[in-house]
Amino acid sequence: MQARQILASLKDPQPAHQVQASVNALFRTTHTLKGMAGMLGFPSFSKAAHRMEDIFDLMRKGRLRSTDSLVETLEAGILALESGMAGLRRGNSEPEDYLQPLRRQLGELEAMARPAEGGAQDLTAMLDLPPDVMKALSEYEHTRVTSLLMSGMPIHGVRICLDFATFDERLRVYSETLGAFGELISTLPWDAPEDREGLAFLLMIACPELDAGRLPVLEGELLGTALLADPTRVPASLRGEQPVQVAEAPPPEPAPPPPASSAPQPQEVEILRLPAHRVEALESRLMAVGQLRDSASLLLNRTRLVNDDDRPMALLGQMEDGLLDVQKSLLQMRMVKVESLFSRIEPMVKGLSRDTGKPVKLAFQGGDLELERGILGRLTEPFLHLVRNAVDHGLEPPSERAALGKNEAGSLRISASQRGRNLRFDIRDDGRGFNLERIEARGIELGLLMAGESHTPERLHRLTLAPGFSTTDQATQLSGRGVGMDVVRAEIEALGGEVHLSSELRRGSLIRLTFPLSRAVVGCLKVRGAGQSFGIPLTSVIRVQAGRHVCRGGDQVQVLGRSLPLESLQACLGLPEPDGQKAFVVLGHQGASTRSVEVALGVDEIVGRGEVLLRSLPELAHTSGIMGGSVQEEGILWVLDPDAMLGLAMDSLMRRVARV
Amino acid sequence: MSEQGSWLHVQASGMDLALSTRDLREVVAMEAVSPLPGRPQGIQGVVIFQGEFLPVLAWKDLPGFPDLAGSPTAMAVLRPRLAIPIDRMMGMVEASDPLLRATDEDDPVSSWSSGLLLLGSQELRVLDPVRLIALLRRFRGDR
Repeated sequence: MQARQILASLKDPQPAHQVQASVNALFRTTHTLKGMAGMLGFPSFSKAAHRMEDIFDLMRKGRLRSTDSLVETLEAGILALESGMAGLRRGNSEPEDYLQPLRRQLGELEAMARPAEGGAQDLTAMLDLPPDVMKALSEYEHTRVTSLLMSGMPIHGVRICLDFATFDERLRVYSETLGAFGELISTLPWDAPEDREGLAFLLMIACPELDAGRLPVLEGELLGTALLADPTRVPASLRGEQPVQVAEAPPPEPAPPPPASSAPQPQEVEILRLPAHRVEALESRLMAVGQLRDSASLLLNRTRLVNDDDRPMALLGQMEDGLLDVQKSLLQMRMVKVESLFSRIEPMVKGLSRDTGKPVKLAFQGGDLELERGILGRLTEPFLHLVRNAVDHGLEPPSERAALGKNEAGSLRISASQRGRNLRFDIRDDGRGFNLERIEARGIELGLLMAGESHTPERLHRLTLAPGFSTTDQATQLSGRGVGMDVVRAEIEALGGEVHLSSELRRGSLIRLTFPLSRAVVGCLKVRGAGQSFGIPLTSVIRVQAGRHVCRGGDQVQVLGRSLPLESLQACLGLPEPDGQKAFVVLGHQGASTRSVEVALGVDEIVGRGEVLLRSLPELAHTSGIMGGSVQEEGILWVLDPDAMLGLAMDSLMRRVARV
Repeated sequence: MSEQGSWLHVQASGMDLALSTRDLREVVAMEAVSPLPGRPQGIQGVVIFQGEFLPVLAWKDLPGFPDLAGSPTAMAVLRPRLAIPIDRMMGMVEASDPLLRATDEDDPVSSWSSGLLLLGSQELRVLDPVRLIALLRRFRGDR
C-alpha cells in the first residue's frame, strides 16, 4: 500500500531530489519484501519482488527515467504483489510468476535500461575526497554524482562530529535538514579529529548553495562544509547530458581530466574492472548481508515475545546457512582464473611477433588455477614486461634460429602451477639464453662485480635484476633500457615472493616467479586426524588407501607393488600419536618422475574431496606443514602444505631410525 | 619517565595490564579460538576477524606471566593484528602526566612490557606491542 502511494506521487511534478528519495524508498521496500519472502519460504514471491527491485534500482541509478507509463507498469506490478500476498494469507499456493501479466512491459523496461557497450561517464574523480573514501563509493554514488554534475548541480560535503550517545538521532536531524536543501547522496563515515571523541560523518549533498548557518548545530558538535565538486569544471560537451540514456547512449568519450588541485592521485586508486554479472552478484550479496542482519534482529525480538514458537529457531538456522553462502560467494568473487592474465599476453605476443618479425609458438598451461584479483592485478605489468623481454631479447630472428638448427618459430611457454602454499609462474623460451659473459663484463664495468673473482651463474643471472642494469647499448622500442627487471623483482617481492632466473646459452631461459597465495580455491582431499579436519591439495595426492590393516608411523606399506615409508599426520605436526591408523594418503608430486619422494601419510579417517577457499595464515601464526585454513561448517579445515609435510615426514622417520 | 596518553586497564590471567589506546585497533567479544595444530609458541590459535585469520596470544607462554588459566570475555585487537585475550575490562586510564616505571632489562617481563604504570597505589603492567611481536618472532626462530 505504502509503495503504491509513493508510486502515485511520482506522477505529480516534483523536484528531482524528491523523485530520487521516493525511488530509493521503493527500492528499499521491494528489497525488504524480497528478503522476507525468501526467508519465509515463498520463492516465487521473492523472485517477483526481486524483479521489481531491479527496476527501481535502474531508476535510482538513472538508467530509467520516471515516466507515466513506467510508473503505471510499476503500479500494476506492486498491485500484483499485494494481491499475491493476500492470496498467501488465505493459504493459497504460490503461482509460478506473480508478474506474468506484466512480463512483456517489464522485459521492455529492462531491455531499454541495458547499458551500452563501453559503459557510462564517471565524474566522481572530480570529488575532492581522500583516495580511501573514493574507493568506498558505491556504484549508486558514482552514478548520482556523475548525473548531478552533468546537470550542473554542485556537490557539497558537510563534515560533522557527533557525540557517541546521541549520534543516531543527531544524524537523522542533519539528514532531514540537508534533504530539504537538495539531494542527499550519501552519508559516509569520516575520521574524527584526533583531539575529539565521537563519531564523524561526511554527508554528501547536491544543491545549488549550502547555507551552513541554517544547519542545526548543537554546542560541542564540530561542523565543516566544503564544495566537493564544481559542475562548471565539467567540460561543456558533457554538461546537460544524462550519463545513461541507455537506448540512445552517447558514444563513449574520454573522461575529463580531474582538477589538478583536488583530484586524488591516480596511482593511489585501484580500478578493478569486473564483469557486469559479478558486480551485480556482489551488490546483491552485500544487500543480502544487510537483510539477514535485519532479519536476525526481528527474529530475536520474536523469540523474546513468543517463547514456545520454534519457528524463529528454524529460520535462524536458514539464515546462518544463507550467511555462510554469502560469505563463500563474496570470497569466491575475489578469485579470478589465471587464464585472464594469459588472455592479455596472447594479443601482446602476436603484436610483438609481427613488429619484430619473429614467429612465436606460444603455449599456456595452468590457466584454470585461481588467485586473488588484487594479486593478479599487480602481476600483470611485471608479467607483460617479462614476456616482452623474452620475445625481444630471448628469441633469435628466424634466420639465426635456422642457422642454429632450431625451428624458425621460437617457443614461449608460460605455465602456472601451485606448489604447496606458493603459486609458481614459469616463463620458458628456447632462445639464446642469457649471455653471462656480457653480464659479467657489464657488472664489472658498473662496479657491481669485482674483476678477477669467480662469479656463479646464479649470481650473474640475479645481477640482471639490479636497478638500472642492462647489457644493451641501444635500447629498442620494446625493451633494453635497464628499467623493468628491478621493478619486476620489487613487485614480486612485495607480494612476498621471489624471482629466479636460469638459462643455458643458445638453449633458452627460464624465469620463475614464486609467491605465496593469500587466498585460493584449492581442490582438497579432506581427512581427519587428532580430532581436527585437514585438507591435502589434490595435486599432491598420488593414492588413497584404506583397509583393515592397522599401520603405525615408521611402518612400510605396499602400494602397487612398491614399498613406501609411512608416517602419521600427527607425528609430522608434533601432535600426540595415535595408537594405529587404517587409512593413508600417498603424498608426492603428480606426474613427477618415479625418483621423486613419496611418503604414505597415516590419517584417522578419509572424509572425501571438495574445493575449499584457502586463507593463508598471518606470519605470527605460521606453522610448519600448514599452508592455511578454510572455514567450514564444522570448524576450520587446515590445509596441509604437501612439500613441507614431505619434509616433516622424512624428518620424523629419520628421528625414529635414530632412536632405534 | 612520563608519557601523556590513555590506556585501557584490563585484567588477563590474573595480571593487571595497561594497553595504550594508540596500539589498539579495537576490542571485541571473545570468540572460540581454533587451536593451531603444532602451534607456534606464544600463539594459542586463530579466530576469524574481518574475514582473515587473526592470531590469538597465549599468555601462558610469555616469560614472567603467572601460569593461571584465565577466562577471557573479550579480546583486544592490536594494530599489528594480534588478539590479546582479556578476562575483564576495568576501565580507561587518562593521564596527562602519568608515572611510568621502566622495567629492569634483566626482568623476563621486559621481553613484552615496557614498564609499570603507577596510579596511586595501583600498578599496571604496560604491554608493549613492539617488544611482544619481537618476542613472538624470536620464539619462531628458536624452533
